Amino acid sequence: MSTTIPRRDRPKQAAKAVKAVKPGTPATSQTASGRHSQRWLAWIFLAPTILGMGLFTLVPIAASVVLAFFRWDIISAPTFVGFDNFAEVVQDPTVRVSFLNTIAFVIVAVALQLGLALALAVMVQEKMPAWLRTFFRSAFFFPLILSAASVSIFMRYLFNEQFGVVNWFLSLAGIPAVPWLTTPGGSAAVVILVYVWQNFGFSFLLFIGGLASIPMETYEAASLDGATGWRKHVYVTLPLLSPTTLLASVMAIISALQVFDQPYVLTRGGPGDSTRTAVMVIFESAFQRLEFGEASAIGVILTLIIMAITAAQFRLSKRFVFYQ
Amino acid sequence: MTGATTGRLRELSRRTALGALGAGIVGATVASWPRLSGSDIPGRGDNSLSIAIMGTSADAAARQRAIDAFTRLHPDIRVKVQAIQAVDWKDFFTKILTMVAAGTPPDVVYVATEGAQLFADKLAHPLDEYLRRDAADMAEFFDDVHPSLVEAFMYKGSLFQLPMDWNAANMYYNTTAFGQAGLERPADDWTNVDFRNNLAAMRKARPSDFTPYYWTNRLFGGVVPWLYANDTSFLKETRSAGGDWLWDSFYANDPSRNLRSGGYQWLEPNADDPRVFETFDYLRGLVKDGLGVRPEEGGGSSLVGLFASNRIGTTPAGGYWVQGLHEAGMKENDYDVAFFPKWRSQRHQFGTAGYAIMKTAKDKDAAWEWIKFSASREAMELIFPNPVTTPARRSMVNEALYAGKGPAHWKVFYDTLDKYPTTGPIPAPPQQAAVETALMKNVSLAVSGDERQLKQALESMQRDLELALRRQS
Repeated sequence: MSTTIPRRDRPKQAAKAVKAVKPGTPATSQTASGRHSQRWLAWIFLAPTILGMGLFTLVPIAASVVLAFFRWDIISAPTFVGFDNFAEVVQDPTVRVSFLNTIAFVIVAVALQLGLALALAVMVQEKMPAWLRTFFRSAFFFPLILSAASVSIFMRYLFNEQFGVVNWFLSLAGIPAVPWLTTPGGSAAVVILVYVWQNFGFSFLLFIGGLASIPMETYEAASLDGATGWRKHVYVTLPLLSPTTLLASVMAIISALQVFDQPYVLTRGGPGDSTRTAVMVIFESAFQRLEFGEASAIGVILTLIIMAITAAQFRLSKRFVFYQ
Repeated sequence: MTGATTGRLRELSRRTALGALGAGIVGATVASWPRLSGSDIPGRGDNSLSIAIMGTSADAAARQRAIDAFTRLHPDIRVKVQAIQAVDWKDFFTKILTMVAAGTPPDVVYVATEGAQLFADKLAHPLDEYLRRDAADMAEFFDDVHPSLVEAFMYKGSLFQLPMDWNAANMYYNTTAFGQAGLERPADDWTNVDFRNNLAAMRKARPSDFTPYYWTNRLFGGVVPWLYANDTSFLKETRSAGGDWLWDSFYANDPSRNLRSGGYQWLEPNADDPRVFETFDYLRGLVKDGLGVRPEEGGGSSLVGLFASNRIGTTPAGGYWVQGLHEAGMKENDYDVAFFPKWRSQRHQFGTAGYAIMKTAKDKDAAWEWIKFSASREAMELIFPNPVTTPARRSMVNEALYAGKGPAHWKVFYDTLDKYPTTGPIPAPPQQAAVETALMKNVSLAVSGDERQLKQALESMQRDLELALRRQS
């Protein structure tokens, strides 16, 4: 007979446990001065992080917002131009295309990343023996710790139309050489492929953690109710995994919206503007055209888009995410 | 002592220890703060002359013998060379601009044609006063250097750099591939039609795992040499007035004296010129017929290896390739070099590089002494002991430099200037980075599809160039 506390009763149990230890036992009793000194201690520990974040994150963000209203080429003194930078950015066809590319990239890459990570996580968690599970966890996570620039240089060789290994393998199957990096479709496919290959390991680990936290009893109950393997995943795994899916999707979308390394190294944004992304345009405006104000304006717009998408995700999560 | 007191003391001491640890972390951060400042940057915080070059620490070390020689001559000037790794010149300039933005600019920067006008326009100090002052010392240098290289560093009548090395887009060819196709060494005045016929013959002789013409999508050696050969360019080229002080001082008797000006200007786009269309259409034909590759943007890093492995028939490159091919195992007779094919003209493209003094340099006189020394034959021989580039001094491009490495017709390198005095630099206005992007992003599309796609790509290039030239102008 199972001694597990039914899940719905767990909060009550926890509340009882808190009440049980709360009344002033010697181990947890605290004087006002004790709490005061602990607060100071907390601030001391937090200080380096707060200082670091303030200096290297918040101040640059604020400076970037201010800079968006100036014309500045590093060399001359900045000139206040009001909203001119924003107006120019909105009218610039390259900027518009790069944002559309970025959004298309996010939709495809994030869908592939999450889909692949979830499928592999389920397979590894359910079908593999423990020792293989450990191996695959490391193997799938490994690309993430590599430098994106190095990986992209390496991939550039692999996908070379004339001498790349990928086309060589395809030729063994009688498939003619594919112009991977020199046609809009091919280059977009390679950028997405390389990005997903390198990043899905993080989502995979999140899903592995999420799957491990789903109680076996729920699956047992579903089996008793007659659910088969596929239906169990649809009606048990996916709903109970929804908080993890939310976290994974928020992080994947934020990361994909900032994609730079792979398209920059693999294709330099080409052919045409087919793989040019928002962050690439920020880099080109600032460090190649010396238009730091315009680059900051694009950065501000991108930040607002990221914030809006993240807020929308959390809002939607109230309807679609099932917290146990 | 009661148990309660003992517990309180133990608690207090733990807190004290934790507090001390926290304070220690803060203290360590504060104490290490100076290490994170710009004083770590070579040349900053002391009076050293800080020199930035593109390359690795090995490249910086290779200059040590020249630095030692300079220090013997000027013991009062300390020199620090900072090598900055970059994929290409555009990337290198980006890093220099980052240093400028950070308030830690170097005093002297080794700048190639790609960035010459950007530096001249915004960052560099002209050399005119120094050249006038030391004209007697510098006469020997200019006697040994072709005026086309010098003119590439003229900007609005002032000279901003002395050329140290340079490279033209010549045509390298694999002698084995030529032999297999029954081809002889091309004549000096071979045409674009001859070139295409040679590619077709090589393709016929080696139908697979071989590319008759490999080219890259870059400013140097990409589409530009073909445009020059067809007597056009993607930007309208004009010359500014001025500069007579220099030409009359150092090149008064040069046969090409009358061609010289106050510097090149690229003020308007020219991608809508019918000759530009014709040139791209020719390249599109090569791609379509499997004679040339569809060029990757900025590619080229793997080119030496591919050429050395006999999988490429021809490719445009300069004298900088010789050492790389030698190290990759090519014997001196395995390859050779020819002039770029003739079309409407046989104007060639080149790029050159030299030191620029930054406006912000602490000691410009010391910077000039370094430049003057670097331009001497002694320094150049120390800096360029191997054919990793073409030295700007004609006298150094000699049999000894290429002995045992090839190519057999190494004279082609400097003859590109001497026999063709109209040979010109890469089009690189102050907005070079944006201009290069506007060119590169449309090249692949232009040569990859049908005639309609080519037309659209050139229209797009014209628009992008207009926008690029308007910026920061």
